[in-house]
Amino acid sequence: MAAKARTSRRTGAAAGVLLAPFFVLFTAVTVVPIGYALWLSLFTEKQSGLGFGGAESVFSGLDNYTAALGDRAFRDGFWILLGYCAVYIPLMVGGALALALLLDSGLARARRFFQLALFLPHAVPGIIAALIWVYLYTPGLSPVVRAMDSGGIGFSFFSSGGSLPSVVNIALWEWLGYNMVIFYAALQAIDRSVLEAATVDGAGAWRTAFSIKIPLVRASLGMVALFTVIGSLQLFTEPLILNQGSGSAVTSTWTPTMYAYTAAFARNDYGLAAAAAVLLALAAALLSFAVTRLTTRKGARA
Amino acid sequence: MSRSWTRSNAAASALSAVTALALLTACGGGDGDSSDAGKGTADKPVSLTFWAWQKGSKDVVDAFNASHKNIRVKFEEIPSGNAGGYAKISNAVKAGNAPDLVAVEYPMLPEFVSQGALQDIGPYLTDDVRRKFLPQAVDLTTLGGKSWAVPFDAAPQTYFYRKDFFEKNRIEVPKTWAEFRTAAQKAKEADPKARIATFMPDDPTTFEAMAWQAGAQWFKAEGDTWKLNTSDAATDKVADYWQGLIDDKLVQTAVSFSPEWTAALKDGSTVGYLGASWGAGVLKSTLPDQSGKWGIAPVPTWDGKPASGMLGGSTWAVTKGSDKAAAAVEFATWMSTTEDGVRARIAPGTSSAFPADVSLRPAAKKAFDAGFYGGQDIYGLFDAAGASINPRWSWGPTTGTTNTTLKDQFGKVPGGSVTVKGAVEAAHDATVAELKKRGLKVEG
Repeated sequence: MAAKARTSRRTGAAAGVLLAPFFVLFTAVTVVPIGYALWLSLFTEKQSGLGFGGAESVFSGLDNYTAALGDRAFRDGFWILLGYCAVYIPLMVGGALALALLLDSGLARARRFFQLALFLPHAVPGIIAALIWVYLYTPGLSPVVRAMDSGGIGFSFFSSGGSLPSVVNIALWEWLGYNMVIFYAALQAIDRSVLEAATVDGAGAWRTAFSIKIPLVRASLGMVALFTVIGSLQLFTEPLILNQGSGSAVTSTWTPTMYAYTAAFARNDYGLAAAAAVLLALAAALLSFAVTRLTTRKGARA
Repeated sequence: MSRSWTRSNAAASALSAVTALALLTACGGGDGDSSDAGKGTADKPVSLTFWAWQKGSKDVVDAFNASHKNIRVKFEEIPSGNAGGYAKISNAVKAGNAPDLVAVEYPMLPEFVSQGALQDIGPYLTDDVRRKFLPQAVDLTTLGGKSWAVPFDAAPQTYFYRKDFFEKNRIEVPKTWAEFRTAAQKAKEADPKARIATFMPDDPTTFEAMAWQAGAQWFKAEGDTWKLNTSDAATDKVADYWQGLIDDKLVQTAVSFSPEWTAALKDGSTVGYLGASWGAGVLKSTLPDQSGKWGIAPVPTWDGKPASGMLGGSTWAVTKGSDKAAAAVEFATWMSTTEDGVRARIAPGTSSAFPADVSLRPAAKKAFDAGFYGGQDIYGLFDAAGASINPRWSWGPTTGTTNTTLKDQFGKVPGGSVTVKGAVEAAHDATVAELKKRGLKVEG
């Protein structure tokens, strides 16, 4: 009895020692900042007179939350995200899957090369990618815009209508190859005997792709969809570069993360920024929950 | 996989801005050697940290350190205010590790004062010093009856143009805004690609300078109430005028000082620039190949009588936490009001600053090599333009919000989804909302 208790106490201690670094770091870089953000979001800076007497931090309850939700710019950010997801996710998932199926099919030559070439853009940091694309979008500088103009396609990437396609294009360029690799790995993992059986039964390449391969990689489809949705909620770097460096119609509050950033660093309203960030985190949590539920249920049925 | 941002915790990433702030706060300590409120002596000099982006700042600091024993200045160059410098300053002040002296342009000064980021330097600024400056500059740095910054330059709006292009095509240098439009049309007829100015969607201050010149008064303090008026006849006139230029494609559209803007100047498709006194140094260092081809004219006016608004212009302000205000003001005053200070900045050739200290203008003129402008007496021109700065204008405590909104909306103007007037209205509404949120009284 005593020996058993001692062993379990010892395992407990070992677990404690091994887990401690994680919990210390987790507390320091995740729990504390989130707690601080929640705390900040309950205060607002109030001034008196003409406002030149300095500011005083006052407890304001949920005022920052109502201010954020009442601000059209903040709500518009979510609509923009919705539009972004509606355009981006089908293109991304469809495109990555199509490329992966192509690579996996008998048609492909030089597989390793294409795998690497398609993945390469992902190795470029997002901020650099955005800067490159801003250059390629800028009329007067960009060879692409010049070529389009002389081909009779006058498209302004910086106009209001052009903002969404411009950002979607940058994101696709960065992420298509990455997700393609995930799908390709899943396709490679399919038991070859299943595919052989399908061929023996007379299924062509198309039929195999749609009836065998895609259903079998459904789990990775769900995973990519989940990551892409959450990634979309954090859309920040690319539109920020478009906003600051190009004079495009992308505003400084284009997405909710940009709204929080601008509130803190252009308007010096840290309370509002914290409230906006908390609201966004809540939205992200809800959405992740919904997507996970949806995809696992689908997976169970398959 | 592990490098992907999709894997990171959504909430944590969304809060990254706030996290950064939390860490800053955690790391921010005191300023090291405190209790050094005095001016320092040769044996025990005071060390100051100074943040600025104005051209020639490093040269000034070197000259100061070489000639002074009681104060050591450590200069750190930061990005220009709108390009992130202001955010850097406010974060540093919040985190408690701000430098002692910072550069702030006139429009942003009230915003910083209202945040409580600066300290009143009235006790260190004698009346003798104050009297040296252009009165408009003193007014813009005096808020709520206190002095918040040492003015450095005045920045009357001026018009830069390609003399050779204007002469070759017999276009007269415009004196009024009506003539400016005609000149724009003529330039376009002479060369379908040529534009005599650029609409800079990222730069609300050019538009504000024009509203200022036309007699608008967006912010007015009455008692303890802010009266906001952006729908007056003067602002409307300027908004309609620019809308017309943009609609008729008489101006280029490009971000200020961007590669696109520079490329258009270099290939000669942009043959003019609505800038300010400090722009003379910018053009000179951006376009060394076009030396001798440029001229400067007073900014066109509505009625032909001289009038100007101010486009930017810098001041030196002491941050709230600094306990070396006396030394900081001594250094700032040296930069702004001594011949040595002004010469050290201008002589290297990148700065064409127009000192707010009226008596230093001959020294500035002597230091600036105006060969780029064919030897034109540009300081004489700045002098007249500086005197014509409309004294009625003042900036409000929410310039950050006003200008960010204006910038956002101006970005949509070239595409046509928002008008210039609509942009001003949006900025007005955002400003009123911001003033109210801060608990201030506002009408308008």
